[in-house]
This record gives sequence, C-alpha cells and structure tokens, in this order.
Amino acid sequence: MTMRPFEERYAAALADDDVRTGLTAFQRGWRGSRDAAIEALEQQEGRSFDELRAELAAIKDGVLADWSHYLDEFQEKAVAAGAEVTRVATPGEANAHITSVVQAAGADLVVKGKSMVSEEIGLNAHLEANGIVPVETDLGEWILQLAHETPSHLVMPAIHKRKERIAALLGQVLGREYAPDDIPTMVKAARTELRERFLASGVGLSGANALIAEGGSIMLVENEGNNRMSVALPPIHVVTAGIEKLVPTYADAMKQVRLLGRSATAQPITVYTNFVTGPRPGQQQHIVLLDNGRTAMAEDPDVAAALRCIRCGACANVCPPYGVVGGHAFGHVYTGAIGLVNTAFHHGMEAAAGPQSLCVSCGACAQACPVDIPLPVQILEVRRKVAESEVTMPAGRVTAVALGAFANRRLFGFGMRVVGVASTPLRRNGVTAVPRLLADRGPVRTATGWRTPPAVPARPARDTLKPGKLDEPPRLAAQPLAGRTVSLFLQCLSDRLAPQIPIAAAKLLRAAGARVTVPREQHCCGLPAYDSGEHDTARDMVRQTMAVLADADDVVTPASSCLAMLSHDAPHLLRGAVDEVERAQQLAGRTYDLIGYLTQGPGRLPAGSLDDGDRTPVTVHRFCQASNTLGRQDAVERFLRDVAGAPVVPLPEASECCGFGGSTSVRTPEVAEHVLDRKLGCLDRTEASIVITDNPGCILHLRGGVHASGRQVQVLHLAEYLVGRLDGAAVNAERMTP
Amino acid sequence: MTSTATGASGSSVRDRFRAGVEAASSTYLEQPDWAAVVAHVAAGTDVVALAPSLAADEPDLLVALEAAGCGIVIPDQDDPAASVADVAVALVQGELAIAETGSVLVSEHRLGDRVVTMLCRRLVQVVPADRLVDRLEGAADWLAARGGQPGFASLMTGPSRTADIERSLTIGVQGPDEVEVIVLTATTGAPTEGTA
Repeated sequence: MTMRPFEERYAAALADDDVRTGLTAFQRGWRGSRDAAIEALEQQEGRSFDELRAELAAIKDGVLADWSHYLDEFQEKAVAAGAEVTRVATPGEANAHITSVVQAAGADLVVKGKSMVSEEIGLNAHLEANGIVPVETDLGEWILQLAHETPSHLVMPAIHKRKERIAALLGQVLGREYAPDDIPTMVKAARTELRERFLASGVGLSGANALIAEGGSIMLVENEGNNRMSVALPPIHVVTAGIEKLVPTYADAMKQVRLLGRSATAQPITVYTNFVTGPRPGQQQHIVLLDNGRTAMAEDPDVAAALRCIRCGACANVCPPYGVVGGHAFGHVYTGAIGLVNTAFHHGMEAAAGPQSLCVSCGACAQACPVDIPLPVQILEVRRKVAESEVTMPAGRVTAVALGAFANRRLFGFGMRVVGVASTPLRRNGVTAVPRLLADRGPVRTATGWRTPPAVPARPARDTLKPGKLDEPPRLAAQPLAGRTVSLFLQCLSDRLAPQIPIAAAKLLRAAGARVTVPREQHCCGLPAYDSGEHDTARDMVRQTMAVLADADDVVTPASSCLAMLSHDAPHLLRGAVDEVERAQQLAGRTYDLIGYLTQGPGRLPAGSLDDGDRTPVTVHRFCQASNTLGRQDAVERFLRDVAGAPVVPLPEASECCGFGGSTSVRTPEVAEHVLDRKLGCLDRTEASIVITDNPGCILHLRGGVHASGRQVQVLHLAEYLVGRLDGAAVNAERMTP
Repeated sequence: MTSTATGASGSSVRDRFRAGVEAASSTYLEQPDWAAVVAHVAAGTDVVALAPSLAADEPDLLVALEAAGCGIVIPDQDDPAASVADVAVALVQGELAIAETGSVLVSEHRLGDRVVTMLCRRLVQVVPADRLVDRLEGAADWLAARGGQPGFASLMTGPSRTADIERSLTIGVQGPDEVEVIVLTATTGAPTEGTA
C-alpha cells in the first residue's frame, strides 16, 4: 500500500471528528491507568521510573556499543537451535527473501502476528503482488486489513476507528449485522474467521519484541494469543526483526517486560510473553534481521538513542497533536514522536518532512518514554536535517524568510513599531479586531477565527522600561532583593506583543527591593529559529543573547520558554565548541524565570507577603516545558497559595501543552486550534474566572482563544496577577507593622 | 537476583502470586495433590485435553482421571490441532509460578503441547508450590539455565484478551477465555534447575 502524501493524510484526519474524539478519550483513559501502573512499579521495585528506565536504556546502549558481537552471538545461538538467520540491508532484500521462503514452501496463505517491521518494509503489498495472501491475525490489524488501512498506532493499530465504523465494516465484509456496543460478538467473529486460516496457512509470520543474544531466543509479547498460533501452527515460521531489538540476556529481557507492558497498555505484563528458541519439531524457522537505516542511526549521535525504542507507543499517547490528527498524519509507518525521528532513516527525508511541524515541542513524550529517549531534541535535529535537505516542510520557505528578518533586531524592531502604529485603529483591549469582512474568509478564518490575534502596541516594553520612566511601585515588607541588580530578559514576544508582562515583572522585582536593568541590545534567545529547524540562525541568536547578558549578575525572564532554551537547548546547539558550552552553562546558572527566582532563587518571598486578602479562585495552566523540561511540578500553584493567599482550583491536564508550542500554531494552525480547544474545555471545568500561567506564548495563545470563543476568563501572567496585589499587600504589611 | 522484603518468606510470596493471578482475571486455587486436582477437574467436565508431555510425566494422572469418569484427549502426532479443536477444558503443568506478575511459565516445545493451551476455552494450569519464584528474574534464570531449550516457553498471565476496539477490554480472543491456576501444596514437582 503506497502512503498518500502528508497533506492528504493531514486533511483527512482533520475532517474526521471520530479521530479526535476517540483519541482524546483514549489518551485520557490511558494516562490515568499508565500513571497508576508506573507508580505501583516504583513501589514494587523501591526505585523511581527514572532509575528503572535509565537501567533499560543502558542495556540497550550497551548493545549498540558492541553491536556486531551481540548480533553474532544471537545468530550463532539461533542457528544452533535450528533457525536459519539472514541479515538484510534493505526492505527490498527482506521482501524478496521472505517471498522466496514462502514460494519455496509452495504456500499461498500466510498468517501474520503483529509486526511493525513488516509494515516498515511493506511486506503485505509485496506478498500480494506475488500471489500470496497475507492475513493479519491481531484483531486491530485484521480490522485495518479489511478496511484497507494501515496502523495508526504502534500498539493499538485501530485506535483511530470508532466501534460504529468497525461494526459497519464487519457487517459489510462478513454479511451479518453487528451492534456497535456488542464488542464481544465482534471479537468472536474474528476468532471464527481467523481460526481456519491459522490451520490452513503454510507460513506464519511474526515480529520480535526482543532478540535475546544469550540463547538465540525471540521474545514476543501479546494479549490475544494470535501470535502463539502464527508461530506454532504453520510448518514454517518467519521472523522479521530490526537489528536494534537485541538484548544480551534473559534477565535484560525481563527488565524490558517490566517497562513495556506498563508503558504500552498499563499492564504489569501482557497475557503471553513467549520465548521462542528455534523451530518446533517438524518446523522450519527463518529469522530475517533488518538494517534499513539502523546502522546509519547508530552512527549519528543526534539520533542514536532512538534505537533504544521498544515500540510501546507511550510517546503518542501523551502527545497533544497526536490526539488531534492520529497516527496516519502524525508520523509515517512509525507514528507518534518516535515516528518523527526514525522515519527519516527508515523511509527517507521526504516521508519525514510533512509531519515535522505537528510536534509542539512540549516534551511530554520524553517524560513518558520507558527508555529515556530525548525525543524533543531528536525531533528538532531531524527537523534541521529536513530543513537542510531539498525537501520542503509545510510553510518551510516562508518561515525561513520570516526568521531571517526576525533575526535582525533593528529590522524587526522597526517593523513592529510600524505595524504598531498602523494597527492603532484595530487595537481593542490587547487584541486585534479583525475586520469582519475578512474574518470569515478562507485563510484569515483558518489563521484567526479560533484565536484572535494579539494587538501590536505602539510602544514595546523596552521603551517603558527605560531608566526613570517607570513609576516607583509600592514596597513589600519583605525585601529579599535589596542591594541586588537584576537584568531583565524581556523575551522578544512579550516585549513587542505583551509589554505589560515584562513591565509587571520589573515592578514586582523592584517591589521586592531589586534594582532592575534592561540591557538594550537584547533581542531573542533563538527558540523560534530552533523550533523551525534553522539551527544556524538559532545559534547566532543564542550567541547574541549570551554576549548581551555576559556581564549581568542575576538574569530574570518572565518567559519560562527562554529559560528552557538558554539552559537546555543552548548548550546542545553550541555543542561543537567547548568554551561556548561552558559560557552557555554559566549563563544558565544565573538565569531564572520569575517563579524560579521567587521560589528557589535569591528572590524568595515569605508566606503571605503578597496576600492582599482577595480570595477570588484562580487556576493555573502549567507551561508544558516547565513541567517536562525544567522539571517543575506545582511551584506556581504553591506560590499562589502560600505567598499570595489565593485559592487555587486544580486544572485538569494542567501540564498539557496549550497548542502554542513549537512552530505548530503557524504551520499547522488547525492542530493548534484543537489542542487549544482541549485546554479551554479543561479551563471550563474549573469554573475559575482567572487563569494564571508563566509563559507569555501560552498567554497570547490562551487570550486569543478565550476572546474568539467569547469566554469570560481573564488570562494573566503570574507577574501581572501579583502586581495587581501589590497595593493591597503593601497596605496589609503596613497594618501588621507595629 | 533482587528480592523484596515481602518476598522473603514462602507464604507471602504465595500471597503475592495469588494477588497477581487474580489481578490478571484468572482463578486461584490451592489443592493438596494431583488426586484433588483430578476430583476438581472431573467435577466440572466430562472430557479434558492433556498436554502430551504432562501425560508422559504423570502416567498416574490418566488413570485417576479415567477413574473419575473423565474422558481424556491427548493430541495425536499427525494432526494435533484437529484432535483437540473441540475440547473445551485443558490441563497443563507449569514449570514455574512467578509471584511478581501472577504468571505461570509453561514450556511447550512440541505442537501437541501448544495446541492444548491455544485451542481450549478453559485452561487449568497446575504448579507445585515449590516451583514458586518471587520475581521475573526467576523465569530468566530458568530460561538461561537451559539456553532457551527445549525451544518454546510462555509466561502466561490470565485469559486471552484484547482492547483493540476503543480500548474496551474483552476477554477471550484466540486463546482461552477462562484460566484456573492451581498450586499443589503437598506435592513436590520434579527438581528443576534455575529455581531458587
């Protein structure tokens, strides 16, 4: 089956409401059970998830470090057990070899257990072209084969299909009626239909969850029992496996078992964990070990760790854009975050290019991955490779040109001032009123109908923050920052589009005793360029920022995204030059976002010091990268409760991305729209009238969504909210002073 | 091999095994010996399929089952699948029971053994109490001691299931939809390498 172009797959996914509704429900259900399963594992083992996954990652890395040794050991043991082992470089070689095995046996029917590698090489199409009938026997795969579709998920292949459609499909194919709610009857139909094929087939195909070098064994995990039958019943068993599936020992395989079931389906172990060593008596076993870009991945330090993947699908299950479009658009044959990485190596740059912009860089995948693959960083590296290749990404050229202009601080600053003045008649309470004649039409509706664009103010924050221009704020009773000088890193976005945010941050810091300076030459930390795969531009901007802040003592930014960029991504981008990495790390060591500075840095404020007595409930949207990259949990909530005295209503899915992240909201706005919609739905459930967060990107995105949907919710930056309490808090402090 | 605090004493390992078995939607039972197993099985069925390896290892079992009025089907060499296709209840012996997961490790190299556990609807797995190990590493030791031989071993944990349609759990797909795990409390199984 040839894969349709990305644009078609993307449009089809968006047009299908079932995909979105079904996947959102699936993601929510999975999250709860997976988290409970991992927590139970941590208790059972007396070790954290991070420790357990580091152990499995080290096992997989150890194999790659001595790859040919383990391959040889596996092959030697498997051959000794009676298997025939063939190593192939390409899908073409794999298909030709498997087809020749089937033909030599005179078989025309092949039963298949679930195998992603067989999908990777397009085995079914090849067999069919040679007059051989492949029958998928995993329930989900069987349904998709009947529907002439491919899997949209590594573990739950048919998760994008609602039961109504499956019932209709089975009705059409099997000629009897199925009630959508009667899933057991549909399952029974599969059992009946497949039983005779198991018994009649000449060849059984399986994949492998692990190749155990110690014994030449294949480990196959499954729940249905179909794999056991595919392996056992036919007179020939063919295994297709990627060469990265090796583990040294059975004990290592058990460590994989512990994390695989829980990460895939929240089970402590699947119903069957089969260890197959050679053929059964009277049977032949052929093991086909596939490279197809894996050696190239191992040699590329940017992506080598992706070979640890145990195909659990967790990275898709926590991915907000995956929840919108599903795996047919989010990925290629391999779906989810891992698909955005390995597709480039297994299926080429062209196949990898389309879905790149769907990743919002929220980092949720890296948190859930049971082998600790740094997926967000790897995705950005692959995106760079795509950007550097001949292949075009959605809106790729426009983005590159726009970033070129943006990188020039003076040009950008001048341009924004012109827009600010020109758009004066359209400015309304912080948003731009899009003229009605335009608002409902094609591209304008796609771009702004769901998210009112922010207004461009006439004056950027840097103007208001010039020395002597800002009114002296009331002083807090506590002055933890007395005598300290803070360099404020404004963030380009807030400076030009939400100046009240850095202004509020400056006021707050001064209220706590700091002297606040705003280095004039500052521009952008490089994040937008990094997100777009334009690493040279990003590096230039990081260097410019490092130069501007070189002499600063404490650097504070109201944008947590800039902190994530400067502390995590900048050293990675500069990794070619040791001295630059060192300077980037030094800068990261003295750079804080506001919440970090006020809770863990020098600006620690005592409990109640910003309490003005207002008890209006608030809720908190946690900036996704603060949770996933900076490792922050409920710091903002605790601060608001303890220091500001605000009642905080928990926000469901608080750490999930709002949809602004990455370049998604520019390149594939439909995805950003639906991710935002999910966030706004969660906000509605809190019934809070104020939502607080600490990343300006989220704020502009949420404000636009709130405005466009007519909701009555105030979206505030932490600094804005706290500055609003300064007067009352200062008065209270005076009253308390004897 | 790591061992947890609760896994130190035999009885608590058995408790953990029981909890694992029940969490996997199997039924847990203790019987003193094979005679009690026979009585239990014969009370629920007229015909039982036996794994050929079990029939060979426990010849007395055949006699006892027949004496209890239970017909016996042992898959034949030529067409093992067809010979047990219509038998609803099957009886096998597990090599190990793993407390951590509630799994039973069943070694079934020959097709005759495998069709019994694959094709029946109700599977009775019998494990002597002294084959109980605490953790999955116990199964790894067992496999490593034999280098993966004789060739096919499965950790079985509950009845066959799927959640492929809207993540809705449905018990019983290609494999059995009912699993009963019986621990033999008074009988000692043949010594086995790799058990702690």
